Amino acid sequence: MSGYFFSRKNRLVYLYVMPAMLVMALIVLWPFVYNVVISFSDMNLTHFKNWKIIGLRNYVAVLSDTNFWYFFFKTILWTVLNLIFHVGIGVMLALIINEDIKAKSFFRTLLILPWAVPQYITALTWRGMFNSEYGAVNLLLDHLFGLQVPWLSTEWGAFTACLITNIWLGFPFMMIIALGGLQSIPKSLYEAAEIDGASRWQQFKDITVPLLKPVMVPAITLGVIWTFNNFNVVWLVSNGGEPSDKTHILVSWVYKAGFTYFRMGYAAAFSMIIFAILLVFGWRFIKHTKATENVYS
Amino acid sequence: MSYPQFTDDFKQDKKLLFRTKLWVTIIHLVFVSVLILMGCAKKKEKIIVWSSMRPVERAVLDSLLKEFSTSYPQFEFSQLFYAPEEARTNFIISALAGKGPALIHGASDNIGPFVELGVIRPMEDLFSKNYLNTFIEKPIPAKTYFRGHLYQIADRVGNHLCLVYNKKLVPTPPKTMSELIEMGKKLTVDENGDGKPDRYAIAWNYTEPFFFIPFITGYGGWIFDKNYHPTLNTEATRKAAQLIYDLVNKYKIMPKECDYEIANALFKDGLTAMIINGPWSWGTYLKNKIPIGIARIPKIDETGLWPAPLVSPMGYSMNVNLRGKKLEITKELLKFLTSKQAVLRYTRVSGTIPSVKAAFKDSLVQNNPLIKASLDQVMVGRPMPVVTEMRWIFDAMRPAYQGIFTGQVTPEQAVKQMQKLAEKLIKENRE
Amino acid sequence: MASSVRKLSGIEKIIAYSILTAFSLFAIYPILVVFSISLRPGDRLLSKSLAIIPPDFTFQSYVDLFTQQPFLRWMFNSLVVSLSVTIFAVSLAATAGYAFSRFKFKGRDASMMALITTQMFPVTMLLLPLFIIMIGLGFYDSYWGLIIAYSATALPFTVWQMKGYYDTIPYSMEEAATIDGASQFTTFYKIILPLALPALAITSLFSFMTAWSEYLVAAVLIQDKDLFTLPLGLKMFSSNMEVAWGLYSAGAIVVSIPVVILFLSLSRWLISGLTLGSVKA
Repeated sequence: MSGYFFSRKNRLVYLYVMPAMLVMALIVLWPFVYNVVISFSDMNLTHFKNWKIIGLRNYVAVLSDTNFWYFFFKTILWTVLNLIFHVGIGVMLALIINEDIKAKSFFRTLLILPWAVPQYITALTWRGMFNSEYGAVNLLLDHLFGLQVPWLSTEWGAFTACLITNIWLGFPFMMIIALGGLQSIPKSLYEAAEIDGASRWQQFKDITVPLLKPVMVPAITLGVIWTFNNFNVVWLVSNGGEPSDKTHILVSWVYKAGFTYFRMGYAAAFSMIIFAILLVFGWRFIKHTKATENVYS
Repeated sequence: MSYPQFTDDFKQDKKLLFRTKLWVTIIHLVFVSVLILMGCAKKKEKIIVWSSMRPVERAVLDSLLKEFSTSYPQFEFSQLFYAPEEARTNFIISALAGKGPALIHGASDNIGPFVELGVIRPMEDLFSKNYLNTFIEKPIPAKTYFRGHLYQIADRVGNHLCLVYNKKLVPTPPKTMSELIEMGKKLTVDENGDGKPDRYAIAWNYTEPFFFIPFITGYGGWIFDKNYHPTLNTEATRKAAQLIYDLVNKYKIMPKECDYEIANALFKDGLTAMIINGPWSWGTYLKNKIPIGIARIPKIDETGLWPAPLVSPMGYSMNVNLRGKKLEITKELLKFLTSKQAVLRYTRVSGTIPSVKAAFKDSLVQNNPLIKASLDQVMVGRPMPVVTEMRWIFDAMRPAYQGIFTGQVTPEQAVKQMQKLAEKLIKENRE
Repeated sequence: MASSVRKLSGIEKIIAYSILTAFSLFAIYPILVVFSISLRPGDRLLSKSLAIIPPDFTFQSYVDLFTQQPFLRWMFNSLVVSLSVTIFAVSLAATAGYAFSRFKFKGRDASMMALITTQMFPVTMLLLPLFIIMIGLGFYDSYWGLIIAYSATALPFTVWQMKGYYDTIPYSMEEAATIDGASQFTTFYKIILPLALPALAITSLFSFMTAWSEYLVAAVLIQDKDLFTLPLGLKMFSSNMEVAWGLYSAGAIVVSIPVVILFLSLSRWLISGLTLGSVKA
């Protein structure tokens, strides 16, 4: 059955795929190579135009900085927590909306708004809402539970504030993907399972999850990568790493080195290390979920 | 659904695909040629000025450019706005790639990085001595030199922090810190009795080093020595940090968590009687109908010194990529934009302090109360250092300094940490 | 099309609606705050009062947005770029994704991995070399530079997403069509593509959003005022520490409207109702 398509003229296939790959190569390859070269150099403020190769010194500097490992840990925590909530909330909402709900359109539209409104201002609005004296979050908490949390002036409070903001920004996307994915699942499968007497949970486990997988996996994979590298939210909500430069993930730290200090060699090496980390993750994740395979094969 | 019968699947596919691709290519070619033609249509050479000025000031710049352009019809003059950080980054990227605006207008602390990255050109041999002598040297020099060369000519002097007070709540501003604290106790009121103050005496972006440095000078200290080695681990710094800490926690006249936007919001809503902020913000207070007065930041009782805010000339630097005719005309443009008339126009619309000696004596400067008070503060200010180290020092101060307010370190530990981090950053960035 | 055949029981309905309402409030509250900022005179980002409509509200910011700022110009530029990117990226992804899904060819897995890896590098480090190459290619200060850069950014996700969706369509569909005598291309165009409408909706929305709200790359590639896109334009409202919050938030609200409109119009594709139920696996 499958051999029919697999043995066909390959040239046609390449025609389909070529344009996309060419564009990517152009835009991404040269800057990448540039960064690889720079990462072995001493390019910084003092030698910007007259840089020279100095070998692995930058890499050593990055890896021997305790800050690197600490922020690495924080970045992993950041990524994992974000994705859990993004996917969890997104899929849950998608499942609910997909049921026989009235005013579907209304809810759908409201729930997509966090994605639609420009991030710059919503992130700053959240920052304002987390102010311990005047922010809406504490006012609400005080009203309901008599609590007042010092969000932005403590290290983990600030981290949580960034997390909540990013969850707010990210769940609509996963919800849309899940909604789309749910459309591809034939109703007949559910009907058959119903006849067989399967419970709702069993139907979810055996029908919904496997057939939703091929659609969610690309989103999750890329979601992990994007969240890992999400510089904007952390920077804006914590006002550039406050308090005391503790609220950072790896990419915001790189930004500081590169654009505030112009330590380009160091920043390039740093970026290469981030890249390597994600590469290893991507490779293993894709192999594990067999994302390149077809679900019916 | 039934499908038409094709004799040879693949040939038909190929033809259809080919035809689609052909059309797509044709459309793209048309698109591209239209865009190229549009590009060719622009015959005039452009001379662009980047600035970070406020909208009212940009309007002045626009009309100045228009006036100037009548003398050079074969060129097109325009201005572009970028926020200070963006202006810096974008200018560096553009100039490094051989492009960028002819002139960039900004504060003098950009000069250090610009010169080190080689994106602006020295100007001392482009202008006559007569012209260069028209600019003020006191209280703050309007011409900025770095490593022996002239890199910026200012059209205004300012960017300095002042005490801004709400005249309705504070009829006369405090002159010393002890006066401030006395007044403060009366001004910080808890109207609804819930244990938290509803109005504060003063609020400002106190967790930011730029807003803290004046107090260091008030205790007689400074951030580096004459070789630009950091001198943060001093009694002066410690005492200054202790003072700010006390204002929040001992005298309780300032809110606990206060950044730039919070302070602004409080002042605009009348929930704080005073704020420390610079000239860029006064316009928005006036827009909010706050009756503001400007005064010097109160004296430190112990030393009798006025805190010295950092004062920066704001002016024009020339792109290193300028050549030939464009260079000549840009030179003339710069002279025009820093002439007495031009400079005073800015003073008229937004109260900036002019950089030209002759303009200083103008009645506009001498008679406007806000400008007078602003000038008063500048008189005890210190010029913003132009060296690149400045940025690193700010960044080195910030973590430890903020740690004082989150209760993690004492002022004494904080100043030690600041010094260590400053030395580390300078070493890392200079190696 | 529901994810189960059973109708919701009474109590399940209550839970479902409560969850939806709770999250809708969570989603919309900050946006209401942005809206209320746009109604406040005097550029006040923060206010002690929690009222959504401030007592001294005014629509002046919106008026200024359109009369004193070249907002419509920015919107036009953004529309041109975003629509081009959407068409470009989605058409490339629809075909490439199909190829990746159906054919096994040399370099297939490698290409797919390669697409993902392009997303792994922090964008900020790519800005300077990107700028240099764009000048070299002549795409600086033009729509093309943005269109190409944004399409490159959008492609990995769109290709993967289309592929993933195609993966859920069984081969039996194509086989049935071929038996009826259709060519490969026609099968793709007339049968498979309509079934993949939800994925097309998602990728279109995503591509549009990528181009519509992107700031960093645009800031580097576009320096001609007349070509400013919306994010660049909005950024102009902030100056030395002072942001014109009134204009900025009014701009943010207006900028979101086309996205919502696009979403609403694509929604019917998202809930396509096209059923694969006619094929018994």
